[in-house]
Amino acid sequence: MKVDEIMTKKLEMIDADALIYDAIERMIDKRIRSLLVRPKDENDVYGVITVRDIVFKVLGKNLDLNKTKVGEIMSKPLVCIDRGMDIEHAINLMTKFNITRVFICAGKEIVGIISLLDVMSAELIKKAREGHSA
Amino acid sequence: MLKNVFGGSTEQKVIDNMKKHMQVLYSASGCFKKGMEEWDKEQMYCVADLEREGDSIRREIISTIYEGAFLPFLRTNICRFVEIVDEAFDALKDAAFEFEHLGLELDKEIREDCIRIADINQQMCDMLMIAFNTLFNKGDLREKTLAIRIYEKKVDDLKFDLISKLRKKEVKDFWEGRILSDFMSYLTHISDVIEDASDYLHIINLSMR
Repeated sequence: MKVDEIMTKKLEMIDADALIYDAIERMIDKRIRSLLVRPKDENDVYGVITVRDIVFKVLGKNLDLNKTKVGEIMSKPLVCIDRGMDIEHAINLMTKFNITRVFICAGKEIVGIISLLDVMSAELIKKAREGHSA
Repeated sequence: MLKNVFGGSTEQKVIDNMKKHMQVLYSASGCFKKGMEEWDKEQMYCVADLEREGDSIRREIISTIYEGAFLPFLRTNICRFVEIVDEAFDALKDAAFEFEHLGLELDKEIREDCIRIADINQQMCDMLMIAFNTLFNKGDLREKTLAIRIYEKKVDDLKFDLISKLRKKEVKDFWEGRILSDFMSYLTHISDVIEDASDYLHIINLSMR
């Protein structure tokens, strides 16, 4: 199975200058666990901020949510793979870098994201379909 | 395991018709999806046609059961399962009907979400057939029903996102809003019904032990 068959195409973005509080609000409203951080200019690249970053790097260190900016704790560059790659390749990257999501890129653009839950769901559906074809 | 219980000729007739019933549901959901992909209201007439065909198969199944197919303790659960599959037909037909009357132009992003839901609905119909077949072979029903629940969760996520987008849309009159709201409700209800049907398969399976 290829990654573009299971990826989520909806990408929620935020600016690097936005406050952590804004990022938390967005994540709660959209029921998601990460946000893509827009590049500041043409020479910059995309970043990502996750719930994990917020808990460990801000809340865990008692930093002010209304003063800390997304750009200060985000991770970049993103771990990206091509949309035509197999899911196994995404799993290998997740294992290697100890991450729970991998971005799908087409050139410089980010076209999707797959998370651990997407991979698990896809594998379970694949197993349930074994020996059957629609 | 269930071959011994389902072995008679009237029982086999019911089983064949139940498979046919689900196959028609799969075709109807495929037809619905195609109509949405092409955003063609004319194409949606096939859904109503297939729903009528489904109705006729359902009546035949229920009649055969009441003629004496299956042991009495099984009949209720089998009838209920067939009725639930029929509810999926109804929801699909209602969604198609509302789609035909949709007056509001929808954004590309909202359309894509609706098509995605229609696609998942069709995959769920296929998985329901696969799950049903595990009653007659040594397949694992549990993993098939889990797959159906995963699909249902995906529809739920899309629904949540769609509703928040639609709340921001302006409608020009009561009926425009009402039709859009009903369309979304029926479209996202189909997966709930298929999940209910898969739960009933589990009950049928348990009652055979």
